[in-house]
Amino acid sequence: MKRLPLTVIGGYLGAGKTTLINRLLTEDHGKRLMVMVNDFGAVNIDASLIKAKGVDTIELTNGCVCCTMGADLFMAVGDVLDRPKWPDHLIIEASGIGDPARIANVSRNEPELSYAGIVTVVDGENFEDLLGDVQIAPQLASQVAVADLVVVSKVAQIRTSLRHRLEATGAARMMTAEAEFSQLLWDIQGEVPDRSHAHAHFAQWSEEVPGFFSRDQITALLKSRPSGLYRVKGFVRLLEGMAEVQVVGKSVEITLCKYEGTAVLVGIGPQAQFDMQAIKTWWEGA
Amino acid sequence: MNQITVFSAKNILTMDAARPNATHVAVKDGKILSVGGADCADQWGDVVHDDSLKDTVLMPGLVEGHAHMMAGAMWRYAYAGYHDRIDPTGKIWTGMTDIDAVVTGLSEYASKLEPNEPLVGWGFDPIFLRTERLSRKHLDEISPERPIAIIFSNFHLMCVNSKALEMAGYSRESNGEGIIMGPDGEPTGELQEMAAMFPIMRRLGIDFRGLSQTPDSIRSYGDVCKRAGVTTVTDLYSSMEEEDLATMLAVTGEGDFPLRIVPALGTAGANPAEMAQFARHLRKSSTDKLRLGAVKLMTDGSIQGWTARVRWPGYVGGQANGLWNTAPDQIYELCEEMQKQGVQMHIHVNGDEAAAVSLDAMEQAARTHPWPGARHVLQHCQMMDRGLYERAAELGACTNIFSNHIWFFGDQHAELTLGADRAARMNAARTALDTGVKIAIHSDAPVTSMGPLFTAWCAVNRQTMSGETLGPEECITVQEALHTITMGAAYTLKLDTEIGSIEPGKIADFAVLGQDPTAVDPMALKDVPILGTVAGGKVHLL
Repeated sequence: MKRLPLTVIGGYLGAGKTTLINRLLTEDHGKRLMVMVNDFGAVNIDASLIKAKGVDTIELTNGCVCCTMGADLFMAVGDVLDRPKWPDHLIIEASGIGDPARIANVSRNEPELSYAGIVTVVDGENFEDLLGDVQIAPQLASQVAVADLVVVSKVAQIRTSLRHRLEATGAARMMTAEAEFSQLLWDIQGEVPDRSHAHAHFAQWSEEVPGFFSRDQITALLKSRPSGLYRVKGFVRLLEGMAEVQVVGKSVEITLCKYEGTAVLVGIGPQAQFDMQAIKTWWEGA
Repeated sequence: MNQITVFSAKNILTMDAARPNATHVAVKDGKILSVGGADCADQWGDVVHDDSLKDTVLMPGLVEGHAHMMAGAMWRYAYAGYHDRIDPTGKIWTGMTDIDAVVTGLSEYASKLEPNEPLVGWGFDPIFLRTERLSRKHLDEISPERPIAIIFSNFHLMCVNSKALEMAGYSRESNGEGIIMGPDGEPTGELQEMAAMFPIMRRLGIDFRGLSQTPDSIRSYGDVCKRAGVTTVTDLYSSMEEEDLATMLAVTGEGDFPLRIVPALGTAGANPAEMAQFARHLRKSSTDKLRLGAVKLMTDGSIQGWTARVRWPGYVGGQANGLWNTAPDQIYELCEEMQKQGVQMHIHVNGDEAAAVSLDAMEQAARTHPWPGARHVLQHCQMMDRGLYERAAELGACTNIFSNHIWFFGDQHAELTLGADRAARMNAARTALDTGVKIAIHSDAPVTSMGPLFTAWCAVNRQTMSGETLGPEECITVQEALHTITMGAAYTLKLDTEIGSIEPGKIADFAVLGQDPTAVDPMALKDVPILGTVAGGKVHLL
């Protein structure tokens, strides 16, 4: 069955969610995106990319942006799935105080959606101060804790104190907003990495998977992978049959399937954080 | 046209201090011409006497200051709640007080549906049925073939049968959040939060948007209100868009539509300046029966869901402090912008921390953009104490208190959420009135059933479901309670010069009652029969 990948972008007011979205909409990645945002006015897209502008949608040459609010968000997702033609990828901006997982969870439950990660944006300059505000700190901390990828904005490098603070809050993978990251959102195409589309900023890994696993074994193995390996997909043999593997950040999904090919896993991660030796050691220890 | 009709009644409780009681009211052009005895309009020319209401008691049309349009349309689904409830057609649905009753009641409902048509229920509340958890096994007894989903009264949970689970592909393999698994590793049928409920809703055709803006829903809301004696009602989180306006105008403009609707636009997530402009734009389309231009802010969650933001000492069970639906910074920003553009706000505040932050934000906005007649309304105000009410009074803000909670959830608040002492101080109408703040009281229908006389009964008696009197010091008198459900609520909607009392010049909106609420035992206030309404001089008996 065809599934529409969903990525949710979380982060507090002013963290830089919209800047990130604007960038995704302008980059040349060859995907048709559908982006649902809170504040329509804040989306600032080069006029040359705009095909048509309506009251609550902007049609772009590479997708569209629409404005949704609160409780109707899920219904709007339903409308997208009911369309005869889907976009390649759905991106939803969570509200500033909202829990991005509350939205992203739908992609683990709805058979026509697939989970494509939670990206939480934090302001590299003031996030530590915000965590000192008792009124909002618990909700901001949980935005970081549920994130598969934390994007730190407004700084060229992540300060050590902030890095430690984010790690203590549950961030497993982080990068600055200046770094290339969009490839991490997209589903890995094909069963083996396509070298022709290899991107200088991203590294790939692939291995055949011999033998049989229990569900718990393979889940534990994938959860203990080196953090540079952001996405992993492929097939493994479980005792009860072949299973599809979908790994995005902290999320590991193992689903029984009818597949008769080779058991193989492929992975991708940001070049700067990709430690092939660590990956090799991890895999050989499996 | 310009006929003068003089209605006679056993008693007319005018809620007008200048003439509290009368036996006759004269109506011309849908408005009240004069009030008094049989001859009250004689000096205005020829009159026609209408004695069809002579055995009834008239009050001003009741005003419900916090309800939702869904209250009408929910009845397209099967009612599965614990308490007896009356539908828009007047049918009484007996409360289902144990799980067997739920199964029997819904089986009977299912027998009237098309084969395999989905059965959707609403209003179920496990807080009242603590012995056993509703599960797919119970619902499979109703039908293994027909998909079944029972939506809980808080709209955050549902329980579905095996067929519905199968349609959404839910199985022991599912590992998403919110699909509750039993000890046998299979889904129990209970689903928590939208992310888990949505795949079911999609496949069973449940769409909450359709529950508000369709002609049927609007008419059904009119019927629900008529049965409660209500002639003016709010829709307090409207998602109305430009294209919904025409529908609303057409239905509310029908000659026999018995209701005035005051929608407040939801503001979640939107840009404050644009939202304020949209509210002002809508305001220009207002008619007598559709009053547009206000907005609603959500701040925190609910106390019984432990999502309200509460001050020290927090929840009695040690639960974490609740959740903001709108961050304090955004509350400040919204208050500033709405105040600047002259848009009235209804601000949802359940917990006392949410009320305190909202008052801070309103005070700051008031310093920057003075607006003496703003009349912003704090809504629910369940934990507001004297200090917070004093501040509301200073700012000229109104408070609309959730008195129905005392009866429906008072016992739970004492035992599970706030503890006995603070529960006894909840929904403090007495304190509010004593500080001089303007108050209304409300049902939040469909969260609890619409019925201002029942709400008044709650504020007067403060009785819980177990029969306890929760905080007797906070009881108000019958007279005060009747004032809050008429003039009090009208004031919060800035309609107090047009409705809320029976006096010359106002719109001829009346509640038609079978008994005099000031003459019955205060404990019988909720049982005073509602016979219908008069809306703009037109009689609508049930």
